[in-house]
Amino acid sequence: MQRRQFFSGAASAVAAAAVSPVAMAALPEPVIQTSADTAAPLAPPNGRPYQPVVTLNGWTLPWRMNAGVKEFHLVAEAVVREVAPGFFVNMWGYNGQSPGPTIEVVEGDRVRIFVTNRLPEATTVHWHGQRLPNGMDGVGGLNQPHIPPGKTFVYEFEARRPGTFMYHPHSDEMVQMAMGMMGLWITHPKGRHPQIAEVARDYAFLLSAYAVEPGAMTPRVAEMTDFNIWTFNSRAFPAITPLVAGLGERVRIRVGNLTMTNHPIHIHGHEFEVTGTDGGPVPRSARWPEVTTDVAVGQMRQIELIADEPGDWAFHCHKSHHTMGAMGHDVPTMIGVDHKGLVGKIQKIVPDYMLMGERGMGDMGAMQMPLPDNTFPMMTGKGPFGNIEMGGMFTTFKVRKGLAAQDYRDPGWYAQPPGTAANEWQGAPLDAQAPRQTLPGTAPGAPSVHKPATGSGHANH
Amino acid sequence: MKRLSTRLSALAAALLLAGCASVSPDGLRSDVAQQLQGRLPDEAALPATDAQAQQLAQTQINAWLQQPVDADTAVRIALLNNPGLQVQLAQLGVADAQRVQAITLPNPSLSLGWFRNGHEREVERKLSFGLVDLLTLPWRSRWQGWQMEQATLEAAQQTLLLAADTRRAWLNAVAAEQALAANTRMHDAAALGGELARRMAVVGNFSKLEQARELAQQQQAAAQLARASLAAEQAREQLAQRMGLWGQQLTFTLPQALPPLPKAASDLRSGDDAEATALRERLDLGALRRNLEVSTDRQGWAALGAVFGDIGLTYSRNTSTERDSGHQERTRGWELDVPLPLFDWGSAASSMARHQVQANAAQLRESAIRARSEARSSWRAYRTAWDLAHQQQTEVLPLAQLVQEETIYRYNGMFISVWQLLAQARSTTQAVLTATEAQRDFWLAETDLQLALSGTSPPPAGASARAARNPAAPAAPQNEPQGH
Ligand SMILES: [Cu+2]
Repeated sequence: MQRRQFFSGAASAVAAAAVSPVAMAALPEPVIQTSADTAAPLAPPNGRPYQPVVTLNGWTLPWRMNAGVKEFHLVAEAVVREVAPGFFVNMWGYNGQSPGPTIEVVEGDRVRIFVTNRLPEATTVHWHGQRLPNGMDGVGGLNQPHIPPGKTFVYEFEARRPGTFMYHPHSDEMVQMAMGMMGLWITHPKGRHPQIAEVARDYAFLLSAYAVEPGAMTPRVAEMTDFNIWTFNSRAFPAITPLVAGLGERVRIRVGNLTMTNHPIHIHGHEFEVTGTDGGPVPRSARWPEVTTDVAVGQMRQIELIADEPGDWAFHCHKSHHTMGAMGHDVPTMIGVDHKGLVGKIQKIVPDYMLMGERGMGDMGAMQMPLPDNTFPMMTGKGPFGNIEMGGMFTTFKVRKGLAAQDYRDPGWYAQPPGTAANEWQGAPLDAQAPRQTLPGTAPGAPSVHKPATGSGHANH
Repeated sequence: MKRLSTRLSALAAALLLAGCASVSPDGLRSDVAQQLQGRLPDEAALPATDAQAQQLAQTQINAWLQQPVDADTAVRIALLNNPGLQVQLAQLGVADAQRVQAITLPNPSLSLGWFRNGHEREVERKLSFGLVDLLTLPWRSRWQGWQMEQATLEAAQQTLLLAADTRRAWLNAVAAEQALAANTRMHDAAALGGELARRMAVVGNFSKLEQARELAQQQQAAAQLARASLAAEQAREQLAQRMGLWGQQLTFTLPQALPPLPKAASDLRSGDDAEATALRERLDLGALRRNLEVSTDRQGWAALGAVFGDIGLTYSRNTSTERDSGHQERTRGWELDVPLPLFDWGSAASSMARHQVQANAAQLRESAIRARSEARSSWRAYRTAWDLAHQQQTEVLPLAQLVQEETIYRYNGMFISVWQLLAQARSTTQAVLTATEAQRDFWLAETDLQLALSGTSPPPAGASARAARNPAAPAAPQNEPQGH
């Protein structure tokens, strides 16, 4: 079982970076996160109160108050992210992790963000979805000079609009995002908001995808379509923290998409409403129930539901290959292919050969065969009933009765009430084997169709 | 009469002794063997002349053929059994007999005359010798001896060339069998891919195009296998031909692998003394040195022979009988028959001999330069061949193995198909094949180096490989010694 330890507070999980206090005398000390675990929500120590979010396998960036301004310090730098147990990827991120820390502020806050560039190339930060002065929008060359390596720039604006936002570079954007540079920005409403419900739990994560060659460690940044690592917050199942909820609680889940394709995010056992986008809260009159919402490229979706069905519910992207780990994208289908007499012969030539795919790919979940170093397996994850056979954008939504408000720990596998799980039919078996409609490789009802032989004698008869 | 005959027989005996004119009983084979000392594998012997020894040799050959034939054994068999070598050795015997014939004193000629006139009857008896033959006998005897030494040296060189040829043929044959095994493995992999593709198409998982692509691989591998099989047979034929085998003996087997490479560069022959060794050891240089000595010596009698080539010494005993009285009168006396050197004072002959000496000296120098160069370049080729083969063995093959392992890991992770796995197996085998060829080339270069250092000129670079491909190509005789 994956260790999912929560930290009692962000402070214990972070370490002061080795930046000379003299050199950065005027700057807030940057806070660096060394763990890819989900940090406990950061209760605001000062400023306006709000209900903090839980960033899946992430954390919230602490700030300092400076004459009424909330000051944050982001450090853009190379990081090594543990995407799954034993699978590490060289990424670019912020303050020790990719994605960077979540920035949480309250509607009306004056915010000052110091951005130090420790990348080998220039960068900027674009505050995706924010209302702000043009010069603070972070598009390098258009709104501001690119931040050269080694320099620190300062952004300052007022968080005018409550909602779910993100930040990402707008300087060599394709490379920097392909390398994992992104983070969440949550602006909480100041007091009660007519369109924004109060929730018991508020989860947030970003969707990102990487192209990592099996056995390599650095994403191929030139890749446009053929990604093989699909993640929530740069983590892949089974390494993604489950979302837990007390029975009957109202839960909000915020999802942002910084991949190059859309993701139909789907929850089992419940229906939800999309209550907001990065454009703001959706008017109540415009909401409708869903069990899947498509999060298009560059969009944020904020969904809400009442966790009223106890159990362990799958929560995932509905593009099935996005719930798979790394796999070859042009491997032919081997299902149903007779290997009789061939396996031994192949093993004479390739001694370590094992037959795979003859019955489908499910065997992959069960087989423990050596893979290239640092390779995320195609499907994995053990559940109470066997292999879950998933990898990538997949996790669980765990609803339990009597969960304490601040208890985000994994409650373990759900104990289903007796007689409520699908089980083997104990009655009389099917008396005869059902005949197939057609033989494999034969079109139904058309076994004797031949192409007309052109120029043959038949045509003249 | 009695006194004379005593004198004559004494002279004849002295001359016979001076000529040492006896035929070598084994046709100079032991002299050849002497020259080959240390240049052939242990227990390698030249074919014997007597029938019983030949029978013994055949028994020995058949015993050797029961085991996988290694390179040294192949050389031993070829030396005993190669008819081409036997032709040469027999000719050496012929030449030896000719030598003896040449320096045996010419038989004196006896002329008898019977004349009559009105009152007399005359019987004339003449016993004559070519005097120059006698006078030049020591020179000619020496010269013939050197000629034989040269012919022996030449036969030794030819023997070394046959040994080297046999060694090359053995290396090519063993490597070709290894290549055949590798090609069989490659074909097996392609055939499996083809069969699996066929089964894929049967259940509808492959299109005709996809199936055809895999079948094309199989076809290509089959053609390559056929070529490898032919090459192996031809290389084996080459070897069998060198070893002089036919019939039942052709079922001999070879070891499955070439000898291992020397492990470290320090195990290799050093190149420092290569030139000196070649100058000291090479038989062709020895032959040319001898040749120069011969022509220098020959200079001494060339003019004399040209001028006085026809001096004749005649002893005559004439008897004339008066027919009426029956009175007999005997005349005895010597006649000397001397050509008058009016026109040919031997200057052309001595000039020819002088120029021959110059030519032979220059030839020796040229050959020495070539031998030095061949020693250097053979050593360089040998050293480079080892570097290349060593690289194949210690770098390329482990790398191919690593690629093979990583490929199967990729197959395990379903990143690639079994066809890509089989294709990788084929290219790993190809790497094994390349390494085998490099190993063979090292031993071929080693054979050339041995020849260049101790025997004679190796064939030009690449000739060994060409010979392997073209069984009809004869081994060109190298560096025909001059002067006879
Ligand atoms: Cu998806």
